[in-house]
Amino acid sequence: MDNYEQGYNNDYDDYGAHTGDPNLDNEYNRQYYDVPELVNNFLIYFRNCVKEGLVFELQTLYEQSWPKLTEDYFEKKPWPEETYVATLVGSDPVFMILYKELYFRHIYARIQGGPSLEQRINSFYNYCDLFNYILSAEEPVPLELPDLWLWELIDEFVYQYQSFAQYKARLPKKSPQDWETLNANNKLWNVLCVLNVLHSLVDKSNIKEQLEVYASGGDPDSVSGEFGSHSLYKMLGYFSLVGLLRLHSLLGDYYQAIKVLENIEVHKKSQYAHIPACQISTSYYVGFAYMMMRRYSDAIRTFSSILLFIQRTKQLFASKSYQHDQINKQTDQMYHLLAICLVLHPQCIDESIQQTLREKSYHEKMYKMQYGDLQEFENCFTLACPKFLSPCPPSGEYPPDEYSKEAIKHQTAVFMDEVQQQKMLPTIRSYLKLYTTLPLSKLASFMAQNNRSNDGKWDLKKEMQSLTIHLLCFKHKMKNVVWLKGASGLEGKFQSGSELDFYIDNEMIHIADTKVAHRYGDFFIRKILKFEELNRKLHHIKI
Amino acid sequence: MAEAMKQTVAAMLKGIERYNPENLPTLERYVEIQSRENAYDLEANLAVLKLYQFNPHSFSKDITSQILLKALTNLPHTDFILCKCLLNENQLSEEPINQIIYLAHILEQCEFQLFWTRIHTLPELTQRITGFLDSIRKFVCHVVGITYQTIERSNLAQLLGDVDDSTLNVWVKKYGWKDQGNLIFISNQDENIKTKNINEKIDFENVGAIMAACH
Repeated sequence: MDNYEQGYNNDYDDYGAHTGDPNLDNEYNRQYYDVPELVNNFLIYFRNCVKEGLVFELQTLYEQSWPKLTEDYFEKKPWPEETYVATLVGSDPVFMILYKELYFRHIYARIQGGPSLEQRINSFYNYCDLFNYILSAEEPVPLELPDLWLWELIDEFVYQYQSFAQYKARLPKKSPQDWETLNANNKLWNVLCVLNVLHSLVDKSNIKEQLEVYASGGDPDSVSGEFGSHSLYKMLGYFSLVGLLRLHSLLGDYYQAIKVLENIEVHKKSQYAHIPACQISTSYYVGFAYMMMRRYSDAIRTFSSILLFIQRTKQLFASKSYQHDQINKQTDQMYHLLAICLVLHPQCIDESIQQTLREKSYHEKMYKMQYGDLQEFENCFTLACPKFLSPCPPSGEYPPDEYSKEAIKHQTAVFMDEVQQQKMLPTIRSYLKLYTTLPLSKLASFMAQNNRSNDGKWDLKKEMQSLTIHLLCFKHKMKNVVWLKGASGLEGKFQSGSELDFYIDNEMIHIADTKVAHRYGDFFIRKILKFEELNRKLHHIKI
Repeated sequence: MAEAMKQTVAAMLKGIERYNPENLPTLERYVEIQSRENAYDLEANLAVLKLYQFNPHSFSKDITSQILLKALTNLPHTDFILCKCLLNENQLSEEPINQIIYLAHILEQCEFQLFWTRIHTLPELTQRITGFLDSIRKFVCHVVGITYQTIERSNLAQLLGDVDDSTLNVWVKKYGWKDQGNLIFISNQDENIKTKNINEKIDFENVGAIMAACH
């Protein structure tokens, strides 16, 4: 019990940015002799804004000034060391924790070779300081930060855990010394510690109760409690739920992943869901979990709704390049996942999303998957899946190379088993699409002729038997739980949402297809707009 | 017993408490009770697998096997996949877990006859899971129920594991199917499974704006 309760309450005075060696510390200072005045002024102003809780100003500083200064002065090197900043802004422990969070985050994102073991450790303890400050206070701490910052803070916390787990898996080979340090300190970035922080933030803010009341139309403030009514706690609580969603997904726990979002309607706009990066990340993990649970309709609905949102708001993300990269990557992954789902479970989706899937490489990949190319399924899956983790450290003699990939390999294998089980369905679907009724025996003979391995010799009775099995499998795999209403995304009813369906009446198959008439409205609107544009240009031509 | 435990166990699954290894013995006992009393609690069972994931030295092959078999009794739900995702490749290849994986595979492919032949060669495997075979028959009936309008009597008997006439009649009655001699009438599927036509509807209001703009 005690090995997770203490979690983030360790004695960690041993770690600090000071090396303790005066010569080396001087070295640090000299390095920053030439910190530009602009940066100095920024840091002082930044600190004052935090101190005085000027949220709107902080938003500008966080979203614009910091990235801009990073680009101008710190593109490939770290921001000034903590000791330097501490002397600059005077004693302000809370600001220093926040500064260090940004400082380490910058190292993770931008510094080549990534953070060293020491930096990873220091960043971890800095998070401990931050969460201790926020969580162990008797009354709400006087701190207000922009929501985007809070979201990125939680997201980064989970990311650094993930990064550490991967680093650790590769470590024994790379550096036996660091490995020793690490084994002596096994609470570092421990999964229970990360879970504990996220759960504590959720509990402290009463966010679950707030969401429940909010979902039923009530006033969330009526249950928010002393802490939860403060924006800082409320939003950290909400973002921690999304953090838990991500963490559970990375560990292959899809049931908990969906369950943790109870009372949040992923597609609905709400007072909590206004950070696009958070919404996108939420949909990615929710959609993925649904796909693994063979709830294709739910996955397709989740992906297409967020992809539509991204299509419509694209210009919003254009300015912030780092976020933009992240969002672009996740968008591409979701198109791949959507492609997989649509191959396994053909279904009508929004025309403009369909349009994107017809373009680019997606079309070719879908074509290959439809023709049973298992390798293509696997490629798309590994490209688009989260970077799964094994939560437990490898024992001494275990080959580390294999270990770091084991979790991804396993989740891929589970998914590929499912694909394998469904491999006959596309062929059957392609035949059924041509008929409204079809005798079993006729389809059986089609299937037998299609099968090249039997040299033209086959027995109708046997073929009919195996066809019946495939047809039962078709119906079973295409009838899945679909969410309709209710607080939990785990709930739902069995439905066949795929576009082609059938039933067997003794010896006869009756087929029901979905026929979509050609859509001309969209086509004409596009042509009209194009024509208008052309017309306008013509008017501007001066002869 | 299982009902009584459900409450105690629910408290063990809340928040961070779910990861407390001290709860493992109770949760494992709860798995045994589920097997014995033909009860089922997916969430509690997943919590057991989660504790194994975090504490590999506590891994119990026997309890895991029971959890996996119980997951099969809840087909057509995908509980089995959820369980599989929390285990690792080494654990899955262990005897008898690998045999259960195979059973799941053929059930998912609806190879029911193969399943029945296989299961008769492994009587000890499922012995402890009360009502296991009937749970699988329920799954068969689910698949038959969504697939057929009418099915040949002998065919249905085979799918249910070569059951005799009186057993067959019990299942037919249970699902409200109708005995028509050689054929069994399942339900009027043509009422639900119909061809859908999706047509675009554009009325004057929709195009009003754009027509005004063109003016």
